[in-house]
Amino acid sequence: MALAVILLWSLFPLYWALNTSLTTLSAATSRPARYWPSPLVLGSYQQLFGISTSRSGVAYQFGRSLLNATIESGGAMVLSVVAAVFEAYAFARLRFHFKRAIFVSVLATLLLPAYATLIPLYRIMSNVHLVNTYIGVILVYTSGFLPLAIWVLFNYFNNVPPELEEAALVDGTSPVGALLRVIVPVALPGIAATAIIVFLLGWAQFLFPLVLTSDLSTQPVTVIVAALNGQRIVPLTLLMAAGTLAAAVPGVIALVLNRHIIQGVTAGAVK
Amino acid sequence: MSRPASQGRLLPYILISPLVVFIGALSFYPTVLSTVQAFFRVTPLDPPTRFNGLENFRDLFASSAVRTSIANTAAYVVIGVVFSVVLGTAIASALQQHFRFRGVVLALVVLPWALPGVVEAVIWNWMYDPNFGVVNSVLRSLHLIGSYQVFLGLSRWLTVALIELSQIWQITPLMALIILAALQSVPRDFYEAAHVDGANRRQSFRYLTLPLIRPALAVSSVEALVLSLNIFDQVYVLNGNATLGSSLMLQTYIVTFQDLNFGQGYALSLVATVATALLSMTVIALLYRRSQA
Repeated sequence: MALAVILLWSLFPLYWALNTSLTTLSAATSRPARYWPSPLVLGSYQQLFGISTSRSGVAYQFGRSLLNATIESGGAMVLSVVAAVFEAYAFARLRFHFKRAIFVSVLATLLLPAYATLIPLYRIMSNVHLVNTYIGVILVYTSGFLPLAIWVLFNYFNNVPPELEEAALVDGTSPVGALLRVIVPVALPGIAATAIIVFLLGWAQFLFPLVLTSDLSTQPVTVIVAALNGQRIVPLTLLMAAGTLAAAVPGVIALVLNRHIIQGVTAGAVK
Repeated sequence: MSRPASQGRLLPYILISPLVVFIGALSFYPTVLSTVQAFFRVTPLDPPTRFNGLENFRDLFASSAVRTSIANTAAYVVIGVVFSVVLGTAIASALQQHFRFRGVVLALVVLPWALPGVVEAVIWNWMYDPNFGVVNSVLRSLHLIGSYQVFLGLSRWLTVALIELSQIWQITPLMALIILAALQSVPRDFYEAAHVDGANRRQSFRYLTLPLIRPALAVSSVEALVLSLNIFDQVYVLNGNATLGSSLMLQTYIVTFQDLNFGQGYALSLVATVATALLSMTVIALLYRRSQA
């Protein structure tokens, strides 16, 4: 019983978007509401994918914004994870000056709210002409997600027994070689968890891309869905189909790879 | 193969060098810049930039829109922290038991947290719709309302509460996960010992579980605090630019990117950042001190 209530609470809004997206506008706007899609039509999705005859501007905007979101979140994911693997290794295994001070200051940025950096980052990006570019968005995302990635990977690397790489180091492998050939394969689940978390965080961004992108060449799907909602001329069924698809990408990732996410979320949250 | 000793000593610095860009240039420098510029007049359309002391802060607090957004944000935070932590604890307790398909249920419960808040807000906006929304339909079917109602944009506190509800829905899975991890670290023997000593379920929750998960409650309260203090996506969609339900973050966005008064934007950001830091430390101090008492 308690479980049924929890599942209803967690899933109803998502079901409602799907329900609206799968029916006709007149059925979606009937009173009282229809709790299942009847009639069941796929018109909104056909229109979004440009299959139907009425190939609208919405279809083009939506498709392009999905591509932009993929490039931006994917770029931030690759950059954050690659950088974090090397940095977390340095913090976990190597000795160097000011290590503790540098590590603590990196982690301290985890506590910085978006308030602290939003406006100056816009001005910096605007000064170096990176507003409304993929690179600008990816750099800003990476600066935001890197500390979390370093923290999660640092904990993973600390759990890898040092004997494993010592054997490789004795055999004459360089530290970087030991990292890539010994530690990375063992820590692969942690690296995967970090990559997924960073991708989902990137996909969910709204305020930063709202400020840092200005047209369809870079606007991600979150910005376009909010814009379609604001225009009030896009049919609700089409809007809900767009919302469902924008949520389906991270939704499917979260369902399929939920073990990694739960690990990563708890590792990142319980500092 | 021997390599120069200097290369080995330099290696750590080479490995962490990206931090110069990502943390130094894109995190520390902006924070410092933002803090300093809060005391300057910065209006790109009307240069020059010059020092103006506390004028930005004076102007901000004189504005009724800013004062409303501060009071609203206080309400977002109180409602958000209380409900997401209490609901998160309830969900974590229910999911702590072993049952069939537990993994699947856990994955489904986490879903709202994994999805973009702005897309979720668009869905909630449709559910709250005054003409055809499902909330109206359900309340009407239950005879709780006589006719369809306008929920958003009329009454200030109803608007704030309903917007925060959509954020609570999004962030509660995070609180549940943090608390669930803590619940699972409580050894089973403790409960058995309490049961042997004659404690009922409520008593063992109150006197055994609660003290042991207090650190997790502190962490999840701070997470909820920071998330609700930063609320933007839901307000942007469900409230729009209106002052009625505006939050501190939305107000910062409006002052900076619509009024193009960057100096005031910096000042408002500084106020919010300092408030976030002070409130987080207060929550941690309160919850940790009480666990020692």
